[in-house]
Amino acid sequence: MTSKVRKTLRRAIAAVAAFASLMSVAACGGNSSSTAADGTVVSIFNGTTGTFNENFNPFSPTALGPTLGVIYETLYWYNLASDEDPKPMLATGYKWNKDGSEMTITTREGVKWQDGEPFSARDVAFTFNLIHNTPALNTNGTAATAEVIDDNHVKIIFNKGDKPEEFEGAYMQEGGILGGQAIVPEHIWKNVKDPMNYTNSNPIGTGSFKLSKFTNQSYSFKAFKDYWGGSPKIDGVRYIALNDASAATSTLMAGQVDWMSAYIPSYKMLLENYPRIAAVNTPRLTTVVMTCSNTDAGCEGPQTDTAVRQAIYYGMNRTQLNKLAGAGAGAPSSPTMLMPDRDTKWIADSNLKYTPETGNADKAKQILEDAGWKMGKDGYRYKNGEKLSMTIQTVAGWSDFILINDTLKQQLKPLGIEIVPTQMAWNQWNDNEQKGNYQLSLDSLGLGVTSDPYYTYNPRYHSEQMVKVGETSGGQNYARYSNPKVDEAIEAAAATEDESTRKAQYAIVQQEIANDVPYIPVYINSMLTEFNTDKVTGWPTEDNMYALPAAWKAWDMGIILQHLEPKQ
Amino acid sequence: MTTATRTAHAQRKPRKSRADSMLPPMTPKLAVGLTIVVIIAAFAIFVPFFVEDPNKVSDVGMTAPSAQHWLGTTQTGQDVFAQLAYACRGSLFIGLTVGVLAVALSSFFGILGAYVGGATDEAFSLLSNVMLVIPGLPLMIVIASYMPNKSSVLVAGVLALTSWAGPSRVLRGFTMSVRSRDYVLAARVAGEKPWRILFVEIFPNLIPLLASQAMSAIIAAILGEAGLSYLGLGATDSYTWGTMLYYAQNGMALILGAWWWFIPPGLCIALFGAALALINFSVDEIVNPKLKAATRSQIKKWKLEEKAGKAKSDAEYTPSPVPVPVAAKEAVA
Amino acid sequence: MKYVLRKLGFYAIALWAALTLNFFLPRIMPGNPVDQLISKLAQKGQVTPATRHAIELMLGSDSSVPMWRQYLNYFGNIFRGDLGVSVTYFPNSVTSVIGSTLPWTVGLVGISTILAFLIGTLLGTLAGWKRGSWIDNLIPVTTLLQSIPYFWLALILLYFFGLKNPIFPLFGGYDVWSVEPGWNWAFIGSVIKYGTLPAITIVLSSVGGWMLGMRNMMVATLSEDYILTAEAKGLSRGKIMVSYAARNAILPSISGFAISLGFVVAGSIVAESVFSYPGIGFALLTAVQNNDYALMQGIFMIITVSVLGANLFMDLIYGFIDPRTRAQG
Repeated sequence: MTSKVRKTLRRAIAAVAAFASLMSVAACGGNSSSTAADGTVVSIFNGTTGTFNENFNPFSPTALGPTLGVIYETLYWYNLASDEDPKPMLATGYKWNKDGSEMTITTREGVKWQDGEPFSARDVAFTFNLIHNTPALNTNGTAATAEVIDDNHVKIIFNKGDKPEEFEGAYMQEGGILGGQAIVPEHIWKNVKDPMNYTNSNPIGTGSFKLSKFTNQSYSFKAFKDYWGGSPKIDGVRYIALNDASAATSTLMAGQVDWMSAYIPSYKMLLENYPRIAAVNTPRLTTVVMTCSNTDAGCEGPQTDTAVRQAIYYGMNRTQLNKLAGAGAGAPSSPTMLMPDRDTKWIADSNLKYTPETGNADKAKQILEDAGWKMGKDGYRYKNGEKLSMTIQTVAGWSDFILINDTLKQQLKPLGIEIVPTQMAWNQWNDNEQKGNYQLSLDSLGLGVTSDPYYTYNPRYHSEQMVKVGETSGGQNYARYSNPKVDEAIEAAAATEDESTRKAQYAIVQQEIANDVPYIPVYINSMLTEFNTDKVTGWPTEDNMYALPAAWKAWDMGIILQHLEPKQ
Repeated sequence: MTTATRTAHAQRKPRKSRADSMLPPMTPKLAVGLTIVVIIAAFAIFVPFFVEDPNKVSDVGMTAPSAQHWLGTTQTGQDVFAQLAYACRGSLFIGLTVGVLAVALSSFFGILGAYVGGATDEAFSLLSNVMLVIPGLPLMIVIASYMPNKSSVLVAGVLALTSWAGPSRVLRGFTMSVRSRDYVLAARVAGEKPWRILFVEIFPNLIPLLASQAMSAIIAAILGEAGLSYLGLGATDSYTWGTMLYYAQNGMALILGAWWWFIPPGLCIALFGAALALINFSVDEIVNPKLKAATRSQIKKWKLEEKAGKAKSDAEYTPSPVPVPVAAKEAVA
Repeated sequence: MKYVLRKLGFYAIALWAALTLNFFLPRIMPGNPVDQLISKLAQKGQVTPATRHAIELMLGSDSSVPMWRQYLNYFGNIFRGDLGVSVTYFPNSVTSVIGSTLPWTVGLVGISTILAFLIGTLLGTLAGWKRGSWIDNLIPVTTLLQSIPYFWLALILLYFFGLKNPIFPLFGGYDVWSVEPGWNWAFIGSVIKYGTLPAITIVLSSVGGWMLGMRNMMVATLSEDYILTAEAKGLSRGKIMVSYAARNAILPSISGFAISLGFVVAGSIVAESVFSYPGIGFALLTAVQNNDYALMQGIFMIITVSVLGANLFMDLIYGFIDPRTRAQG
């Protein structure tokens, strides 16, 4: 009996061992990320976790990433990475009429859809009229109809609103129309009955790559040989899903992913060990301490006092924060909330170009003293019996943000300010910001459509986007900031095409918000993108930032894929 | 083996006091288990007083163990050894809290239900069945979202809430069998008060089973907490082994070769869990004396002795130890 | 028959209670899907008040429907098999999301659970039969394995056998580069290859429980009189072990097995996030993170129904196997 059992076991072990060795042989054979038959295929992880669900509808906010930029294209493309003019894509020119109510667009000739049909101005007109007639598709807030002039010209006519005599021009819709809207083919979409719920499983765009295969775990594209800008040099692109940054980093190290954007702690160490991996850092998202700043809107707490916000602004040591929480990869921010490296031309006052890096504790203390916040016996300040104590919220698990909050607490204590860090689920945190149920919140400000400061200022500082505490904010004015001077300046800037006038108006905004600091800038957070340089060349570098390299960035990814060349 | 045989024999000797028979005999397994538990508990209680602040950041990130930092540093230069000490404390706190709560809940619903019977039993059974199928993870998120801070007490509460149902079903079965034993029936016929029957006649029989369940609950709680933390849903107010692992994983400690950050917390959980399980083996042997490490020839001998007319001791009742579904652990862990 | 009806009634009530809870849980969570989508979009580009309006229209989120109506509609839809539209994967339906993820989970976790049960029971039988043997001494080892946090073990194995020594793949359900999904050998082989390491980790961390349970029942059974009788009759040892001892000892394990099969769906969350496996557990996590009520409810429902179903099945089977259970009812 015993010997029989032993024999059976031994046989089982042998079988397992044989199986394992078989597996390892198979693994060695099949692990390369491209095969000869497919040519050079670039593998991309763009942040999708779990499984893919088919949705290539460019109007849908849940569309898969490459829908915008790889399949479908815009009229113009705005490079948010550097200061340069928009690049013509499907359009070659545009012109505003005198009162800013009509824009005439010249479309590019010789463009073909991926099914071979020619592209024309009719497709552009169709796209904008489709949005106009289907409000659920209108995520850009475009208020316009379109009229075809001829095959290469289309006129966009803007709605003058209820009071046409007060209409001041729709110049600020330019970015959304030219750089934010994918153009779809009329010959296909005119037959789509329900464009909102359409998953568009066989997408036909003008982009440089055409969808070749979709499964729930991966989908791939083949180069579109007749692309108007010339056939792409690589043969295909494949997207894969990974469930977290750690898995992504492993696959990057194993050479199975060629392009991804994920923060890798101690990434410099990784780069030393893996020479074929390159990384670029493009800080574009400003980490801010958001404050519920407006008592009129129902905000409560010491942070409603401008002096307190200023004291935090001057009191924090950003160099230390960047070193500890940002691994030193963050960039200095500006009190104007613009990018000091990219937006120099928009920052009017050179004193407002950078935030004070190591802090100015004396100034912060003086501000508090002058505002009547007196030091109490417990080491914290008081005013009219109110303690200078505020909670700051962030999301549980965002380790760098948690670290910033903890460090801020230590940094501000000597000033007599108490900061109480709290962590919560993303849902709760987001809900609190939208409804104004917070005192301080650590968050970051997202990207605009173009680098024009309007897209930074209007959604966050204009009182039109402000609602009372408890109501859901329409725009992103989570600070509940309201300042008539700022409103007026933003409106004035929006009403002109003239850059110098705009600059003058933005200068007013900048002075006001640098004084009121409803969003207290900390630093511009690093945005790391990693490439595998073994297979292809032509990735953006710190010196040649021809596009924003993030693997999730709409539009830019199409531009980058066109620049890639197989390595010889 | 000889020790085991001897203890087995000792059990056959005329019975000592009830309390005595409740204590497991000292076996190598028990000794090892107890030693590990005592060491880890002592570490958790005393070491945090002597180490530096686990939150203190410094510029020496991701350094390997050295004389200055016994277990190296994290990515932000925090001392791993100090964190481990606090984490032991945090995890043991959660484990013990869940152990106590889960046993209280499961005995309330299991023992009381089975003893009272009728509609109460039906209702309690229904409740425990429903609780068995509710996924603990989303429940955790819902409850936690109402709190600005997810404290370890809260995490413990949720873990207890989602872990009493299984043990309660086992207890119910056991209680029902004890209830129908002759001496209980006799007590009933003799007119003893119900609460007295419950606490004096029935409850003592359940103590070893409860102890065993408490230990399983502690292991499950520590593993469950680690699982929740791994998904980013753990306690935010204190260090636990789970949160340490979470931050280590977030900092990609393993991939970047910082084993000193990733390995110790997991090893602690494994050691502590295994130690409790070893103790549990010994407790199981009281619950179910047939499990005592004895050879089959030994059993045969007992049988013969038994046949020779020795009275059957009531402690020899064999419960059917329905294995707690393994996947129930995975549901959270 | 009365027993069966009683049981069915009992489970109907349990199902109703679980489904009701399932309805209310997501609704008391903070935030709503519209805010969720907007905040995510805001990180990628421009969001205007029009965006909110457009998304509200798109999702058809209408908060004016009274709660009790939503509750009734919810039950109505469940019985029609309509689980709604997933917000995260809009406009895909919940049924399609579940349909594409469930097979992977059932395949991986289901097979691993069965393997763990078979291996554990076999080892447990042998350990109980030959107490003090090397198999019996395996028990502390398997206990240690069971006490290891699953994800920790999995991450370490993945590190050593995926990254350092690339024997097993690092992620996914099959080789997306060179294999076409379908009923062909290349695909099936690839699925097995990709599932091997996750399956090994699940088996390693759960085999201990089955082994210990079976071993203990075996030991208890071996001291029963009928075993002694069988030995006295001179039956072969193998026959006693298999036909007399193991057959009786396995009953509680089978009941536990049925219940753990019910938990397959829920039991995969962590495994799937470690191995980036395309299953339903990770879909649940995604749904929770995105306030995707419909998807959450759909997956909860699958879990609830499978667990209750497994329990009901066991109760009914037990009623036939063991008449005493029926009497106690």
